[in-house]
Amino acid sequence: MDAPLVELRNISVSFGGVKAVDDVSVNLYPGEVVGLLGHNGAGKSTLIKILSGAYKRDGGKIFINGEEVQISNPRDAKAYGIETIYQALALADNVDAAANLYLGRELKTRWGTLDDVAMEAETRRVMGRLNPNFTRFKEPAKSLSGGQRQSVAIARAILFNARILIMDEPTAALGPQETRMVADLIHELKRQGIGIFLIDHDIHTVMDLCDRASVMKNGKLVGTVNVKDVTDDDILGMIILGKQPEKAA
Amino acid sequence: MRKALTLAAILVASTANIALAQGKLIAVSWKTFQEERWKHDEAAIKAVVEAAGDKYISTDAQNSAQKQAADIESLIAQKPDVILVVPFDSDAILPSIKAIQNAGIKSIAYDVQFEDPNSLYITYDNVGVGKLMAQTMLAKGKKSGNFAYVKGDKGDPNSAFLAMGFESVLKPEITAGKIKVVCDNNVDGWKPDNAQKVMEQCLTANNNKIDAVISENDGMASGVVAALAAQGLAGQVAVTGQDGDTAALNRVALGTQLVSVWKDSAVLGKRAGEAAVAMANGTPISKLKGVIKFADGKHHVSMPAILLTPDAITTANLEDPIKAGHVTKAEVCAGVAAGKVAACN
Amino acid sequence: MATEQSSKSATAKSEGLIRTFLKATELDVRILGMLGALLLVWCTFDVLSGLIQPNASIFSGLFLTPRNLWTLLVQTSSIAVMATGMVLVIVMRQIDLSVGSMLSMLAVAGAMVQVFMLGPWLGVGHPIIWVAGVATCLVLGTLVGVFNGVLTAYLQIPSFIVTLGGLIAYSGIAFLLASGVTIAPLDQTYDIIGGGVPQSWLGPMWSWVLGLAACALIVFGILSGRKQRRRFSFPLRPVWAEIVLASIGSAAVLLTTYVVNSYPWPFGLIKQYAQDHNVTIPVGDANSDGNAICMAGDQVVRCMDGLVYYTGYAVPVLIALMVGAVMTFVATRTKFGRYIYAIGGNPEAAELAGINTRMVTVKVFALMGFLAGLSAVISSARLDAATNALGQSNELYVIAATVIGGTSLAGGIGTVYGALLGALLMQSIQSGMQLLNLPAAFQNIVVGTVLVMAVFVDQLYRRRVK
Repeated sequence: MDAPLVELRNISVSFGGVKAVDDVSVNLYPGEVVGLLGHNGAGKSTLIKILSGAYKRDGGKIFINGEEVQISNPRDAKAYGIETIYQALALADNVDAAANLYLGRELKTRWGTLDDVAMEAETRRVMGRLNPNFTRFKEPAKSLSGGQRQSVAIARAILFNARILIMDEPTAALGPQETRMVADLIHELKRQGIGIFLIDHDIHTVMDLCDRASVMKNGKLVGTVNVKDVTDDDILGMIILGKQPEKAA
Repeated sequence: MRKALTLAAILVASTANIALAQGKLIAVSWKTFQEERWKHDEAAIKAVVEAAGDKYISTDAQNSAQKQAADIESLIAQKPDVILVVPFDSDAILPSIKAIQNAGIKSIAYDVQFEDPNSLYITYDNVGVGKLMAQTMLAKGKKSGNFAYVKGDKGDPNSAFLAMGFESVLKPEITAGKIKVVCDNNVDGWKPDNAQKVMEQCLTANNNKIDAVISENDGMASGVVAALAAQGLAGQVAVTGQDGDTAALNRVALGTQLVSVWKDSAVLGKRAGEAAVAMANGTPISKLKGVIKFADGKHHVSMPAILLTPDAITTANLEDPIKAGHVTKAEVCAGVAAGKVAACN
Repeated sequence: MATEQSSKSATAKSEGLIRTFLKATELDVRILGMLGALLLVWCTFDVLSGLIQPNASIFSGLFLTPRNLWTLLVQTSSIAVMATGMVLVIVMRQIDLSVGSMLSMLAVAGAMVQVFMLGPWLGVGHPIIWVAGVATCLVLGTLVGVFNGVLTAYLQIPSFIVTLGGLIAYSGIAFLLASGVTIAPLDQTYDIIGGGVPQSWLGPMWSWVLGLAACALIVFGILSGRKQRRRFSFPLRPVWAEIVLASIGSAAVLLTTYVVNSYPWPFGLIKQYAQDHNVTIPVGDANSDGNAICMAGDQVVRCMDGLVYYTGYAVPVLIALMVGAVMTFVATRTKFGRYIYAIGGNPEAAELAGINTRMVTVKVFALMGFLAGLSAVISSARLDAATNALGQSNELYVIAATVIGGTSLAGGIGTVYGALLGALLMQSIQSGMQLLNLPAAFQNIVVGTVLVMAVFVDQLYRRRVK
């Protein structure tokens, strides 16, 4: 088998003496969706923020395509094609959709100035594909609805040809129709060979969308299972009891 | 801890010195050394005291009433004969003054008044500065016409003293209709750039018909003269000031400022030093040269005082501050055309 | 009943018209409000200053005269320059309380270089002197700004504390540098930057050239914007709206140019210039209301028809306008500006988007320091002197101008042109009250009240829009 797209090996982080992530190893192959499950505070978001460069790890190694890499800030992560859609919807509230989409990677005219018109055009194109009802291109992000903000965040992640996508509860703020849209999008991205880490509370979402699921409890990895081989109840057991189901082990 | 040690060391050293020295001990409690002028005062006092074979010690209260009270306690402990005090807070200092006198030590209020009938107050006459400005204006500048007042910060009592002085001199002329006061403004923080704006608006409001400006100090006078220069009026309008700033004395030489009233702190220090030495040797305050009764303070307490008359520096006596070493001839005469001003020849 | 309804519908209709107008032109309502307030203040002061004149009438006002408006612009320049930088600092959720003390310190340093160091060595008036004076202020200012920024961004000390410390410390340095003395006079070429000497007045011809160039830029900007939007086939503003915008912009520029070109040189300076440059003064009848000078016998007198020069734009005003234009460009058309606004909107989002927020913070403080240096040059050149009292407490006026101009202290929102208008509004109030010879204490009360009112009205408006 090829080297995994991403391999997180023996990752540990502690905050003020508390081990938020304790010796966790997970990996992700191209075209694969790996779900990360667990209670609040189980360490899923912390683990993922290490990959996206928002937190610094205390121990462990990160490999991309089999090579060890250093990721110490969000800029490093982006350089390796890692894009993140955060749970807290990390948008700058006071600027419009195009400015948010291109934040940190603005298009420039040949004079070196911002090419707002080109950025808006591209934003219209991407958003048209993602959320055809979206028309509020001139308004600051804070006046958008939760779903609209989420689609801006997703558009930002896929705009730059990400190879690895991290989605932290992407459907949390969405209605049923928008949730279906995200599901379609994930299938589409999978087909393009993008690897996706999907963090979610909802077991059904994970069972529907993911190939494998890794369950965490109290900072430790309970285990990783093939979704096809287990039932909802098996996974629920892993989350609550912190035990690997026998048949998958 | 280190502070206490230093203090102890100073105490030991000074006590030892007293034992050795034949003369008297004169102490000064300064309110601050943050402003340059107090260094000149100190040098003058020290020179007089040491010439008389006496010893000089001092403390710096760093603009704190509490520190000054502690300073005075430690001075008293060294048993000086006279303590000169520049109070940071004229009222809060009074208990310390009482303590000085209870210890049998004589006290002098130096330059800044505290109101105590048993102490000597020695200073320049501040109301007199205002009077002198107006007198010089009438004698050597403009006798009539439109006058503008550019006063200092509204919160500073000195600004009011100065105004009291020049208004008392100008009042008869105003009543007689010879002088009209067309602008009268306080300048926040005595700031020259604010004074410049005040003067610009005054000139606009009066269509440049201004004959004289009574500016309460030299810093503001620099703003006034800049505003006048922009209207081509510098040198035609008579401007007053005080402090004997180098730049102001240069303007006097150039003719753009009429007068800078100068309170030579070296003279003040010298007179205070002489008074202190005399008092240390047992001369009663009332027998000192030039002592009068003064009761114009905040609480109108009558106390003996020596009020020195400041100098009005105009082109006629520009060589005085040069001779006194306050400024150099080159500084005062920069840019002055040859032969125009006697002091620059 | 019927009339009530019809009047209601008439109101609705006119409101609809206004809304259509605003939507089509995409004008900022709050800026229109500020312009309205400015006009109101100006007219009030004009009427009041007319009423206190000897021959009182509402037409003898002094405020709306070319002379007063010209002076007003010069008086505003120093605060305006710093306010453009303060907008970016506050938008980024920081504050710089040290600009006033920085101005003192830099002005004194620049003056010392001119008067104490280079003057005696190179000889008074050497061209290197003014260049070195300006460079000292700008370079030192930038360095001090970098220092403030590094403490804030990398050592994580709140900028309020860093610059509060700076406010206290830099004024101490300003005092120590020259031990409290006033340094004057400064280099004569340097003084041109202050606007107090005839060499710093552009004169009508160049003022018109610049005014027309600015109009051309406005038209060019609107046209190229249209072209860009057409390239991506975006909706365009209606043509009438574009024409209205271009006309308003050009009219403002041309009116300002006309006003500054109507202010004649003061009598004494025309006379002096004529004497120095051997200009023949025409013979004419004396008239004390005239702005020109004539020969009546062997006397030089004021007259209606004679030798006269007009000032045009003064150098400090030009500097402030250019700084305003450049800073608007930086804020709206560059990556750097975009990042400042994004950081102000959501610092974490900006960091997660890969922006080096610390570096941007340092750069913004450096820019603020540079502008404080520029203001130090303008103020000291204008006063023809530098002291440690110069510029003290200016930080309050700069922050007030910025906030009156619509910048939110919560960060993320603010415009450079708003801050410029805020500075102009505040100086208008101060100058107007001085013109009425009102006491300084009263001026403080009014300026303070206006500041609070401006923010209150702004918040009301924002709440309503939400």
